[in-house]
Amino acid sequence: MFGGLRDRLQAARARLSGSIQAAAAASPQGEPRATPPAPPSAPDPDVMVSAPAGATFVDKVRTFIIDRELIITEKELAEALEELEITLLESDVALPVTDAIIAHVKKDLVGKHRRIGQSVDSLVVSTLRSALLGVLGKGFDLTSYIRNHERPVKILFTGVNGTGKTTTVAKIGDFLKKQGFSVLIGAGDTYRAGAVEQIEVHAARIGIKIIQHQQGADPSAVLFDAVQYATSHKMDVILADTAGRFHTKANLMSQLGKIRRVMKPDLVVYVDEAVAGNDAVVRAAEFDRTVGADAVVLTKADMDSRGGAAISIAHTIGKPLMFLGTGQGYDDIIPFSPEAMVDELIGDA
Amino acid sequence: MLDSLSTSLKDALRKLAGKTVVDRAAVDELVKDLQRALLSADVNVKLVMELSKAIRTRSLEEPPQKAMSVREHVLRIVYQELVRLIWASTDVRLEPQVILMAGLQGSGKTTTTAKVARYFQKKGLKVGVICADTFRPGAYDQLVTLCEKINVPCFGNPQAKDALAITRQGLDSLRDLEVLIVDTQGRHALEAKLIQEIIELNQLTKATHRWLVIDAALGQQASEQARRFHEAIGIDGVIITKMDGTAKGGGALSAVAETKSGIVFIGQGETSEDLERFDPDGFISRLLGMGDLRALTERAEEAIRAGDMDATTLLKGKFTLRDMYRQLEALNKMGPLKQIMNMLPLGNMDLPEGVYDVTSTKMVRYRICMDSMTSAELDDPSLINSSRMQRIAHGAGASPDEVRELLKYYKLMQRTLKGLRGAGGKLNMQRLMRRFSGMQ
Repeated sequence: MFGGLRDRLQAARARLSGSIQAAAAASPQGEPRATPPAPPSAPDPDVMVSAPAGATFVDKVRTFIIDRELIITEKELAEALEELEITLLESDVALPVTDAIIAHVKKDLVGKHRRIGQSVDSLVVSTLRSALLGVLGKGFDLTSYIRNHERPVKILFTGVNGTGKTTTVAKIGDFLKKQGFSVLIGAGDTYRAGAVEQIEVHAARIGIKIIQHQQGADPSAVLFDAVQYATSHKMDVILADTAGRFHTKANLMSQLGKIRRVMKPDLVVYVDEAVAGNDAVVRAAEFDRTVGADAVVLTKADMDSRGGAAISIAHTIGKPLMFLGTGQGYDDIIPFSPEAMVDELIGDA
Repeated sequence: MLDSLSTSLKDALRKLAGKTVVDRAAVDELVKDLQRALLSADVNVKLVMELSKAIRTRSLEEPPQKAMSVREHVLRIVYQELVRLIWASTDVRLEPQVILMAGLQGSGKTTTTAKVARYFQKKGLKVGVICADTFRPGAYDQLVTLCEKINVPCFGNPQAKDALAITRQGLDSLRDLEVLIVDTQGRHALEAKLIQEIIELNQLTKATHRWLVIDAALGQQASEQARRFHEAIGIDGVIITKMDGTAKGGGALSAVAETKSGIVFIGQGETSEDLERFDPDGFISRLLGMGDLRALTERAEEAIRAGDMDATTLLKGKFTLRDMYRQLEALNKMGPLKQIMNMLPLGNMDLPEGVYDVTSTKMVRYRICMDSMTSAELDDPSLINSSRMQRIAHGAGASPDEVRELLKYYKLMQRTLKGLRGAGGKLNMQRLMRRFSGMQ
């Protein structure tokens, strides 16, 4: 999973390091005294590239002589950053988000004083890592959220058509049941043909109580009933499935608003697929704006996806990722951890 | 629909408006904007690079044709390259055939299966559907419900586990029908067992067509997935679904380039009617802000066959209130107004958000008002003076203001249709481009 992005990011990282090293090593002209007692691990430290805006020649010399540090310039990074940009785009990171990450890396590296002894590699890794972690934010621990919250905890699932809401509800139901919680499913997708049957079969297989009405019923009413049932039976969690809808359909979005008013969910979970491209950003922002979102679940992460959608969505709405769906079985769901993902992406160095 | 992509493209092209000479800097800038536009539409990165390289070289090397401004010159090249990218439209023959639907989980295969069934049914063929999705709970119920709505026989068994056995039985029991559509379970290229299953399904059904269903929002994965599906069963057509959202379908375009096939249909909506034939010329024209006239005509013809409206009224010269009345009825049959408006060549006439919802209900009000008019008034709206207006309003239970608004709308329609007539017939590239430049 996300292997593609990892390979590419590692390549880009090597490239960035290379470019900084080259810049440091390949400009010996103009500084004749530059045979400093550099530690052996450092590249030949010479900073006399044609000085761009920001750091003047004098500054550089002073920095170099007094502090024994290098100043990294924008020019040296340009090519490597361009490559990083393509890498991110190829990994489905949306264009505006890519721009933001590039800007972050650039801002962090350009003009930075690098100690002669400090390895270039670690500098790049820490910059990329902080950029990605900054984007991904913190994960979301559903189990401890439920433990520390008044029961029943009401969780509403939203998203566009075909992202896997119903399957995700079943998987999370199974996950929570195994943690020892009592779980109730509200079959709020009363629109799509076969949706009620689908979730009914799932519920029966994992042994969870389900509240359902006929196809075509008012989803708010179904979910209201579910809340009533869970409250009177003192259950721990309600998972409310809804019909997929496009953020462009005003009526369906206001229906979702009504569901929200009626069942008063504690958590609104936005479900999208890891393989989605640039549109992931548009629709996540629109859902967040109209009905809100407290956490995100990304499905279909097993489709050789490059994880870009995770980065895009998290950056756009700033909400934590909760789970990754990784297959068709009930066990194919893993709690999301930003550190683990970033570690996996750029490796530890 | 494809709004954002076409906006950014138009922005990019606008920058060339003032230039008189093809200079490298201007072309470079355009190519860069074009790249960004295509990338944010999810077109495959490598494809974008190839495309932009071709446009850059051709723009700089080919001499502009006579009487063509620099912008028209570049626009023509952009257009040609985009058409090349989208490849050709796949032929849909109205003859006995077996169609195998393939695609990723949640791309909309089942809904699309029903839509395609409806398409062939409307064309007068006997259609049957086989549900070979034995995995997803509710898949059979979903397909059966959709098929019942459109009166198409559906073969399947929710208890069965073997997709091949079901399909074999289905082929046998539905063998009297002309078009058979096999809906399959969602799968992705890394699931070796499922890929093997679809290879066997393909051999078993001896499918005439193997169509890949692709979600318009699919990102860079599209090329790779399409390639693997193509290797497995030889995809010969792509259907883009969920085009009614904001996704731009660039992933699907990459898939088309990968499989060297064409886009067969575009799905945009949840009912079985919301399927459109794909026309690359029209698609690009719409991309460039031109409106897709041919798709509109196709839709209009079908809606009219069911009704009593003269097909040419829309495009003919004299247009009275009576025509508008029929037209409003026809529009009702043709589907949501928004889709129609998207196909009209209204180019840069940006209608404010939400205007469509209001208009659909207004349409009904307008018809009620027209019901209160005399036939003389319907034939010659200029007869309507303020006292007649009072009477009409009274009869329709409306206010005179509403009647006045109706007349205003009538005049707007009249003007719009005049413009539409001008662009009729086979889309003429030259003329469209000239119109496009005139529209700025």
